[in-house]
Order: sequence, then C-alpha cells, then structure tokens
Amino acid sequence: MNETSWRQHLYHGLLWLIALLFFMPVLWIFLAAFKAEGLLVSWPPRWFFTPTLDNLRDVFARPGFWSYLAMSFVLSIGAVVIALVVSFLAAYSFSRYKPTGTNFIMFLLLSVRMVPATAVVVPVFLMYSAFGWSKTFHGMLLFYAMFAIPFSLWILKGFLDGVSERYDETALVNGGSRLHVIFRVVLPQVKPGLVAAFIFNIIFVWNEFLFNYLLGGKGTTMIPVLLATGVNEGGSVDWTFIASLSFIYMLPPILAIFLFQKYLLVGMTFGTVRGEV
Amino acid sequence: MAQLGTHLDRPIVGATPAARGRRAWTRALDDSRFFPSLLLVPILIFFVVWNVVPLLWLVGVSFYRYKVTSSREPSFVGWENFAEIFQSTEIWRTLGRTLTFMLLSVGLATILGVLLGLLFWGSQRMPGRRLALTLLFTPMVLPPVAVGTFFRLIYEPNFGVVNYYAQQIVGRRFDFLGDKDLAFFATVAVDVWMWTPFMILMTLAALGSVPKAELEAAEVDRLPWLQRLRYIVLPHGKFILMLGILLRTIDAFKTTDLPYLMTNGGPGNQTELVGLSLYRTGFEAFQMGDASSLAVVTLLVAIAFTSVYLYVLNYRAARVEMR
Repeated sequence: MNETSWRQHLYHGLLWLIALLFFMPVLWIFLAAFKAEGLLVSWPPRWFFTPTLDNLRDVFARPGFWSYLAMSFVLSIGAVVIALVVSFLAAYSFSRYKPTGTNFIMFLLLSVRMVPATAVVVPVFLMYSAFGWSKTFHGMLLFYAMFAIPFSLWILKGFLDGVSERYDETALVNGGSRLHVIFRVVLPQVKPGLVAAFIFNIIFVWNEFLFNYLLGGKGTTMIPVLLATGVNEGGSVDWTFIASLSFIYMLPPILAIFLFQKYLLVGMTFGTVRGEV
Repeated sequence: MAQLGTHLDRPIVGATPAARGRRAWTRALDDSRFFPSLLLVPILIFFVVWNVVPLLWLVGVSFYRYKVTSSREPSFVGWENFAEIFQSTEIWRTLGRTLTFMLLSVGLATILGVLLGLLFWGSQRMPGRRLALTLLFTPMVLPPVAVGTFFRLIYEPNFGVVNYYAQQIVGRRFDFLGDKDLAFFATVAVDVWMWTPFMILMTLAALGSVPKAELEAAEVDRLPWLQRLRYIVLPHGKFILMLGILLRTIDAFKTTDLPYLMTNGGPGNQTELVGLSLYRTGFEAFQMGDASSLAVVTLLVAIAFTSVYLYVLNYRAARVEMR
C-alpha cells in the first residue's frame, strides 16, 4: 500500500513537472512584466528579483491603452453575442426542418473559416474600401460576428441535434407556440453548447490580429495591434512595455480555460468532438 | 419539464383578448410555411454580404492586374495571374515551405501530444489537476501575436534566456531568428510548443472514448500494455485522434501571425509561409490581382482540407450509429 502511494506521488509529481514545463515560457514573460528595465535585459537572466509594479503603471498610463482594451472587450463580446443569436436561430432551423442546402451552407461556412486570414482579408478589404466600411466600428463588429458564426453554428447544431424532437412535439401538442418551443424548451437544454460557443469564440476574436490591423482604424484598434506595432516598427523594442502588455492581455484567456475547463474540448473542436478531459 | 406544464394550466378559451391576440399572432407564425426560412434570414444576410460577395469579388479581381496604389485602371488579364502562380518558382518554394512547416509542426506535435496524452491518462486523482491542466493547455489559447512577440524576447541573441542556457550547455550563443539555417526550425519549435497541448487534449478525448468495459476485460485478462493499445485503444480512439490531426493540419496551413511577428518572414524569406506571402503581395506590394489569385488557390486547398475533415467526421458518426 505504502509503496503504491509512493509511486502515485512520483507519477503526479512528473505530471505537474510537465505542466510547468509547458507553462515556463509564459511564466518567463509574467516575470518580465514585474522586472525593472535593467533586470529584463540582464545577463545572466534572473529568476529571482524584487518585483516592481512600475511597468504595469506605465502601461496603464500609456495614451490609448484603456480605449484599446475597452475595444477588445466590446468587439469580442458584442460580435460573439450577435453571432450566437444568428447561429442559434439558424441552427434550430437546420436541425429541425433540414432545408435543402443545409449541409452545403454548413460546409461552405466552415471552409471559409479554414482559409488563411490573409486570403480572407484581401476581398473583404476591397469590398470594405468600396463600401466605405473600413475603419468603421460596425464594419469591424459585423466582420467579427461573421468570424464567430461558423464555429457557433457548428457547436449549436451539434447540441440541437442531440435534443430529441419529442420535446418540440410535446410542447406543441400542449399548446406552446414555436417561439415558446425554441426559447423556453430547447434553448435551456443546449446551455453547455451556448457557453462553449460563447467562451471560445470570444477567445478567438480576442486573439485576432490581422483583420483588426488591416480593416480597422484608430477607433477600432484592439490590443494585439498595439503589441505588433510596438515590436515591428523598427528601432529598439521597449521590452518592459511589451512584456507587461502581453501579461495583461494573456490573463483573461488563461482564466477562461481555468473556469470553463470542461468546455475546452467542445470549444477547440467546434462541437465536433464531445466529452470531458 | 416544468415549462411544459404551464400550458395545461392556462386555458385557451378563457384568455384575455390581448393574450388571445398575441396567441393568434404566434399561431399565424407557427402555421406559416415561411417560418423555417424566417429563422434563416439573419444568417443568410451574413452569408451573402460577408461570404458570397467577397468570394465573387475575389474571383473577379483574380482575373485583373490591379495595383491599389497605382493610378492605372485595373486591366483584365484572364488566366494570366494563375499562370504566373504556376510558373513562379518563388510561390512554389513558399508552398513547399508551408508544406514542410505543416508536416514538421503537426508531426512533432502529434508524436509529443500522443505520448504525453497517454501519460496523462491516469491523472484523474492528481492533486490540483484543474490548475495543472490549465497551465498545460495555456499555450493554445494565447494570442499568436503575444506568443510571437515574447518568443522574440526569449530567443534574443544578446540577453535571451534560451541563449543563456545554450551558452551554458553548448558553449555558444545563437541568433535563432536571424540565422537562415535556424530561423525556420525556431519557428516550428514555437508552433509545436503552442499546439502540443491541443494534441494532448485530443489524445485524452480519444482515450476517453474507449469503453470502460473493454479496458476492464483487458485488465482481467492481464493483456500486455502494447496489445491493449493495439487492440482496444486504437480501434476506438483513432477517429478522434484523426480529427485532431486534421484540425491541426488545417490550422498549420493558416499560420500567419506567428512568423509575421517573430521574423516577418525573414531572414531572406526562410520563414515566409503562404499566409504571410499573401500579406506581402496584397498589403506591402499592393498587387491585389496577384494576391487574389493566390487567395483563390489557398481557398481551394482549405475546401479540400475541410472536405476530408467532414468525411472522417461523418464516417465516424456512421460507425458509432452502427454499433
């Protein structure tokens, strides 16, 4: 008994070690966010040091930081909410009435989401320029809604197919209207799908860079653009700024997978693989 | 079922006129032949405005010589842009490089992910499991832009932490992202780090799909480990693993942000993948015609990948139903 528990401890210790190894590069940046300027570029690198909050204070005081951060929140949450409403209605129709072309549209939507971002942005850039939608808030918001629709649709359709049509029939026979069926009978049963679609699409929009960089303007810039221009604009890189900004921006996704870990699998495979890890 | 009951409690005949009015309205909606289509209106608007129109635009522009910054009118050139793609050694090299990147990155992430996934199989009772898994899965939910930037710091030739340990172990420093022999592999390494956790996740899902009863039977029979994997785990788990590999392949094909931030395609164009090449053609050289035709090619590749993915998915669904 004692020997098995000893081996058990060793095994768990090994798993923790692997997890920490994968987290190491992120940890290095988290540490860098709390290092004074000179320490960050010191040789040999320092793992132990007196932390300072100056870098974070500096980031908070940067012009534009708060509006960029607010834009990250507004665009990712707003776009995903729109996408969820649109996809839920469509998923219900696809799942229950199976109109002709269902499979084709689902396939096409998914395919477009599988194309490199730069290939998608070329025609959208031309279209937005022609319509005068580039650099506008609604242009960016609706584009990101479209960005989130395919995965939301796939996740929700998968979950709706899992809800037996008997529920719909029972409710209809008992005098419920279709809208009642959709929102009061079926909707509560696909809550896990909604949560997974909500959280993971928000993460995908939150992390997105190229569309925002090429289609957005001053009023719709999110943090990733700030990060990229901070590094790629030539001259010496302000590493303390980059490290603390990355630290702030990476916290929400990490927190999300801690809180919503059981949706991770569904979210990362857009509902095609179900189960828990 | 509580919601269903409320309907029986509320007699239709005795309803107030207002309620009866609303009821008539929803009844009309219910009986309407158009109701299923009505639900589809929002998504169809999105589909047409953000998919169909850009798609037609893309295909249209791909037949033109069109430079955004020049004052010359776009001129129709027919298939010339596509012919250029097929004749350009540069583009073929980029596609080859992208393929190498995909094979290396997906291959390594799969091997590592399957091995670590098997190791994590028995982790159910591990203390602090949720936190450990969060740390383990973190790389795949990070913004590629942030990953690209901070790996520049980590790889930094003068004070980067990797170089410190390289100096300790090998005795010299490397300019990982500036050296033309190393940059490509340094980029692959970051991609593998980022996506191995995803393959671990998929391996765990695949292992979770193996029926408990069969594993217990194997335990009773004292079947050797290798045979358990071969005859019990593999037949059940291979579909989910296959889906994981396919998703990863599609995603690797899309990789753009990471090399853009880490090396901007350089040195030379050692790390210029197809996504980045498109960016350069369209938004640095402003050759929208060339960029569009290349985008059409990548779109076809993506459609092919998606078809394979869905084929495997349906195949699996059919197999599960048969059981």
